[in-house]
Amino acid sequence: MSTRTVVTRIRDRARSAPKGVAMREKRLGIWHEITWADYWDAVLDVGHALLALGVRPGDRVSVQSENRPEWLFLDIATVAVRAITVGLYPTNPTAETAYLLSHSGACLHLAEDQEQVDKALGVEDVPDLRRIVYVEPRGLAPYDDPRLMTWDRLLEMGREHRAANPGAVEALVDAAEPGDVMTLVYTSGTTGPPKGAMLTIGNAEFALETVLERSPFARPAPGPHDLTLSYLPLCHVAERVLTTWYNAGAGTQVNFAESIETVPQNLREVQPTLFFAVPRIWEKLLATARIKLDSATWAKRRYAAFWLRRADRLGARLAANGGRHTAGTRLAYAVGWVLFYRALRDRLGLRRVRHASSGAAPIAPEVLQFFMGIGVPMHELYGMTENTAIATANRPGRVRLGTVGEIHDGTEVRLDDTTGEILTRHPAVFAGYWQDPDATARTISEDGWLHTGDVGEWVDGTHLRITDRMKDIIITAGGKNVAPSEIENALKASPFVKEAVVIGDGRKFLTALIGIELDTVGAWAQQRRLAFTTYRDLAEKPEVRALVQGIVDEVNSRHNPVEQVKHFRMLPKELDHEDGELTATQKVKRSAIDAMFHDLVEDMYAGGREGAA
Amino acid sequence: MTPWGRPELYTAYKQDMALLNTRSKMLGVAAILVVAALMPLMVADDLLIILGNGLVLAIGALGLNLVTGYAGQVSLGHAFFVGVGAYTAAVMAGDPDGRYLGLGIDFMPAWLLGAGLVAAACGALVAPLATRLRGLYLAVVTLGLVFIGQYFFFEWNEMSGGSQVGREAAKPELLGIEFTVDNGFKGGWTEEQKLYWLFLAILVVAAVAARNIARSRIGRAFAAIRDRDVAAGVMGVNLTRYKVIAFTLSSFYAGVAGSLMFSAFGHFTPESFSLLMSVQFIAIVLIGGVATVSGTIMGAMLIALLPRLASELPAFLPFLSDSATEHPNIFEFEQVAYGVLIVAFLLFEPRGLFGVWHRVRTYWKSFPFSY
Repeated sequence: MSTRTVVTRIRDRARSAPKGVAMREKRLGIWHEITWADYWDAVLDVGHALLALGVRPGDRVSVQSENRPEWLFLDIATVAVRAITVGLYPTNPTAETAYLLSHSGACLHLAEDQEQVDKALGVEDVPDLRRIVYVEPRGLAPYDDPRLMTWDRLLEMGREHRAANPGAVEALVDAAEPGDVMTLVYTSGTTGPPKGAMLTIGNAEFALETVLERSPFARPAPGPHDLTLSYLPLCHVAERVLTTWYNAGAGTQVNFAESIETVPQNLREVQPTLFFAVPRIWEKLLATARIKLDSATWAKRRYAAFWLRRADRLGARLAANGGRHTAGTRLAYAVGWVLFYRALRDRLGLRRVRHASSGAAPIAPEVLQFFMGIGVPMHELYGMTENTAIATANRPGRVRLGTVGEIHDGTEVRLDDTTGEILTRHPAVFAGYWQDPDATARTISEDGWLHTGDVGEWVDGTHLRITDRMKDIIITAGGKNVAPSEIENALKASPFVKEAVVIGDGRKFLTALIGIELDTVGAWAQQRRLAFTTYRDLAEKPEVRALVQGIVDEVNSRHNPVEQVKHFRMLPKELDHEDGELTATQKVKRSAIDAMFHDLVEDMYAGGREGAA
Repeated sequence: MTPWGRPELYTAYKQDMALLNTRSKMLGVAAILVVAALMPLMVADDLLIILGNGLVLAIGALGLNLVTGYAGQVSLGHAFFVGVGAYTAAVMAGDPDGRYLGLGIDFMPAWLLGAGLVAAACGALVAPLATRLRGLYLAVVTLGLVFIGQYFFFEWNEMSGGSQVGREAAKPELLGIEFTVDNGFKGGWTEEQKLYWLFLAILVVAAVAARNIARSRIGRAFAAIRDRDVAAGVMGVNLTRYKVIAFTLSSFYAGVAGSLMFSAFGHFTPESFSLLMSVQFIAIVLIGGVATVSGTIMGAMLIALLPRLASELPAFLPFLSDSATEHPNIFEFEQVAYGVLIVAFLLFEPRGLFGVWHRVRTYWKSFPFSY
């Protein structure tokens, strides 16, 4: 009996439902469908091509591309021939690409287009890298590096090899063992260089069995009738689980968004039934909805305001009741659905969502409550790369806002007695960091407990609440412990605030650097006939400062004096991955921010009067 | 296959290109068709005549919209082509032994097509002018057509019956159904009911054809020429060819409309094909909506109903008289309303009735947002 893997799951689907839709990709306005039979055929072709190119079990194959079917084909084919997939963010700058390629020792690299090929070719000193495959040939005709080859050529090579060696890939698929490393997921690394977490076939299987079979995250359990939208980077563990593994495990139909910018449009077209987003996306969706409602005609505005007030109340009632409807809220919502919420959800692309979730970073409860109020069943989840995203989850009907939910069946989670650090132990805990035994030893204790680095506490003994990242906890000069992320999220819950970085470690009081959301503040300024040119110009307008001051004051009023932000400064630019201020997952790198905006910070503590609270 | 309930998820070009690409459009069109088809059972015959006349006007206006709305070639000569169609049909269907010219072909599809084709041929003859002229100059030249046409219609007595006298119009008759015979008293359909259904059927065919022309390669060429003929030429659109096609198609529609226009009344005189008729068609296109098929039909119905609406007015506005000898009277009002409607639409809703509908639709389609 061979091991069940993500690959065999796809093979079995290709046999049982060959004409079922596995994924859709939008090209020139049309969503082209790929069936399970097409999928499996492509995996075999690519798998044979990998064999023809000399990829052996345990070799690394890297991918740097936006989400597209080829990502999945290559990923699955790599696992099929028992090699290891390494995902790179398309936004990784050349230096990071170089680090990841040489650290992982990839022998074959998929670079989506000219931009990514340029990055890969700019990397020197990678003797193991034998082939660079590209999918989009535009602009690449003049390139003559011998390592380059097109995706079509790869497929052709695979077909030739398949004809000559039938069954070679299938034999390797059957030989797979649970201990095989199937992928390296490089953590984003808010501190220090990224580390490659090794996830095994056993990890993936345990994760899938947990969320799909042992304690299904949605009822009825996800299946072939569910649609998902794939738009977060596939090299991140969350999107890999949601796109590649759920697709294989539950047969959900994956729809690839054209790009991150077109997500709102694609959402409206696809109307997914299962939707996961990071807090940044939820905040953006909320901000967009608010702007659009505010800029509607008078009658529509008043009408929407009426129903949103009701949604607020509904959201609060639902949140108090674990996300379950009472007879009263069900009736109130049914009326609202006919008259307003249906249309609003349709326009947001959330009309058919039956399970929505947020994870990968902390989110303000206000945001969750808004969506619950308009009828989107929101669930906050918690997990990390090192435990294959399996730790805790809010279950349908047992939601508790402000917590990340309950322990999954068959897994263990506990808090460290002294530090309060969250520890998890289950078969989906990773096999260690690639070529970094020291870091591995620091993260996994001898008896198998994974140190997550997050501090948490139990609420009512069942739900876990996360205080903050352990190393982010601010200890003020007065010796008080403050969790900055809670304050930052409260600030970011405003549609006008995009970034908030609370500072104060070893200082007398807290301060913050605040970045505005260009779209919303821009629209706000336009309504007030406030002329502006650039982001910086807008951010430094006195009116905008006053606007932000109001938000800060409002947040301060909800906190005790130690947790109040005394001064703030506007960030003069939008934070960016390429400039090293954000990680690839859009998390703020505090060290980089400290270094880059050192003057602003010092100015606040030097008693600058501007912006005093 | 598109998953259920996701109208914007196009999985094939066929679906994207479909005329009725959403469920609501499909249901809407079906509902309108059903109501239109049941109209004769619900409405009195005197109103039915007016509605039927509106349907015929719509056929003619579709033609004008093709050349003026879609292809941007201003034509004031539409009345001429309508006249050519009316006389062709009358001559083809006329009694060979009668007082006037007649060929005795009373098979309706034959004279219907004949009227269209002869008018189209006239259109093709005139078209080369359009390739040399543009805008106001083209308008003036086509205006000339109306006067040349009237001269012929007035003077060629064997064909037209002459000024003030006129001749019989072609009588529609198909598969043993005489559309102009009233069977109402025998428990059958009345003349008005049968004619209405005939006109409706022909209009549906004409409208679907016009819509398909508009979204075909020809339609795209028309739009390119309208937006800037020089640019269209540079892009490889054969200007002469497409302008000829535009005039020919337009005249065909006009001819068909002309052959049916007088069926209900049974008799017509050359005076009908005056400049006023051209202006009426232009009004329909402008009020209905330039370069829209549904708008054209809405405009035609409105213009056809205008006299009836005006005649209802004295009940509400006591100072209006329904006697032609007193002032102000409803006939004067009707004339003024024409002008006011055209001016008002051009100023406030240049996309016509279609624009009004479009506004309403967008309001609900974007609900609860505004864009």
